[in-house]
Amino acid sequence: MAWVTWRQHRAQVVAVFGLLALVAAAAFATHLPIRAAYHRNTLSECLPPTARSGCDIIVRHFENQFDSWVAIVRGLAVLPALVGLFVGAPLLARELEHGTHRFAWTQGVTRRRWLLSKTALLAAVTLVAAALLSAVVTWWRGPFDTLEGRMAPNGFDIEGVVVPAYALFALAVGVLAGLLFRRTVAAMTATLVVFASTRLIVLNFLRPHFMSPLHRSVVGTDSARPTADWLLSDTLVDAGGRQITAGREDLAVLHAQQAGIDPHNYLVSLGWKRVISYQPAGRFWTFQLIEAGIFAALAVAVVLAAIWLVRRTPT
Amino acid sequence: MTPSPLDARGLGKRFRRDWGLRDCTLTIPQGAIVGLAGPNAAGKSTLLALATGLLAPTEGSIEVLGKDPLREPSVLAEVGYVAQGAPLYRSFSVAETIEFARRTNARWNDEIVSHFLTRIASETKVGSLSAGDRARLALALALGKRPQLVLLDEPFAGLDPLAGREFLQLLMDGVAETSATVVIASHVIADIERVCDHIVLLTEGGIRLEGNVEDLLESHRILMGPRRPLGSIRGVHTVVRERHSGRQLTLLVLAAGPIVDPSWTVDRVGLEELLLAYMAPERLPTPEPPERLPLRWHG
Repeated sequence: MAWVTWRQHRAQVVAVFGLLALVAAAAFATHLPIRAAYHRNTLSECLPPTARSGCDIIVRHFENQFDSWVAIVRGLAVLPALVGLFVGAPLLARELEHGTHRFAWTQGVTRRRWLLSKTALLAAVTLVAAALLSAVVTWWRGPFDTLEGRMAPNGFDIEGVVVPAYALFALAVGVLAGLLFRRTVAAMTATLVVFASTRLIVLNFLRPHFMSPLHRSVVGTDSARPTADWLLSDTLVDAGGRQITAGREDLAVLHAQQAGIDPHNYLVSLGWKRVISYQPAGRFWTFQLIEAGIFAALAVAVVLAAIWLVRRTPT
Repeated sequence: MTPSPLDARGLGKRFRRDWGLRDCTLTIPQGAIVGLAGPNAAGKSTLLALATGLLAPTEGSIEVLGKDPLREPSVLAEVGYVAQGAPLYRSFSVAETIEFARRTNARWNDEIVSHFLTRIASETKVGSLSAGDRARLALALALGKRPQLVLLDEPFAGLDPLAGREFLQLLMDGVAETSATVVIASHVIADIERVCDHIVLLTEGGIRLEGNVEDLLESHRILMGPRRPLGSIRGVHTVVRERHSGRQLTLLVLAAGPIVDPSWTVDRVGLEELLLAYMAPERLPTPEPPERLPLRWHG
């Protein structure tokens, strides 16, 4: 089956690694000026815990200088989905669309073994490609990770072990969608919808609660640099610890303005403070393993469903 | 006792609302060359798809070489199946297509396939083969498995008569030494007439006629005689079909013994004529007899 898989999917495999090479080349080229700026500005001396004066401006300058590049690299989060769209979805949909399954599924290799072998081999290729992508991105984001951390989604989602897990999940969803929809375009659409919504659900509803978040309160003026933690919520509370509604906040500010007092000072004098709940940067690998575990388990479940269903699918 | 190559019991398959095949009970004898005849949409492809496990029965059961093709798909290693239109990967070259079949079958015989390759460059893409060559390639792949059962679904569609004849020759050569059972589904009876020794006729999803070709031809007779009201005729079991043409009455009958009535001209029936008679609806509307002119006396 290895030959069969290679012959039928070599174009996709070449495309995957071609794209990967392109990303790596771009990453290497863009990383040169970043590294130069990183060392020239002697940012290392500004990194916590050493904080000397003037650090603020140096760090801000560095971050803003490469803002758009960081945003583009963040966009690489879509790459795992492409595996599902262009490798997973056509795997069965194209056979069913062209009727070639009537040829492939009536040979000596049973169709379950046929599907299992193909999926396993493509999953191995996907795993390697996604791991390489993750390594490249992790390396490229090194300076930014040091400054901003990678616990927040913009770093978390494209680094570490979650990337291969996302890609495997996308591949699995594509295979199952191809079996259920039997049309390549429909299967691709379904794959995109399922993959994106699963990612968003996990990101917004599960990941914040992998472990209970920590809280800290900030009183008055706190101009500290954003930390490496993943900030979940920032609530204004009064001295008694009750949450302050937007209406009450507006009223207080208006009141201060009418009385001719600086609103900020007024709020501080009331004893109001911000309560920030966050996931600390130190939990990065724990969270990575949990999230990767979720997506890998989902991928396995989806593939098993496809293998179970393929035998009873009417053609 | 070796199990029948294809054994169906009360087999039925429903597509959404309509039954593609219903109440099909059938046992194909070992080594037969079976013509699976019937008009379009009679259930021929459905029966073959059920036999290869590509479809699951709605009711009843089907066994191929004694095994349920859905529960024990490993039996497909013994079945050479060519689906309608001979689906193959268009982007594969001929050599790659053969390699595909070799790699997906534990038992493989290169001889038949190389016989095929003598005529076609192995680098040719399957997509650019002629319909005839493509059908030959698909057949060669099916035979390369050294199957005990060969199932061909409309293999002559798109073939010119010469290519069809060559195709049959290749098929007969291929199964000659293995004495495999062959089922050829075709709506053109003339294509299969020459080779098949067993007939299964499907109409509207049911078996209309089944049996050994010689027995069927032996038991049916064509009677011709002057038109008359039909009573029972000695030696006739059933009248399959009656046709009037002018004052002539032509009957296709299932005979139960010698027909001795001298007013009938008794003739043997050809396979195509027999099958066409059975394919037609149960009773064709009989045209009204022409109005008789009143006799007039002159003089």
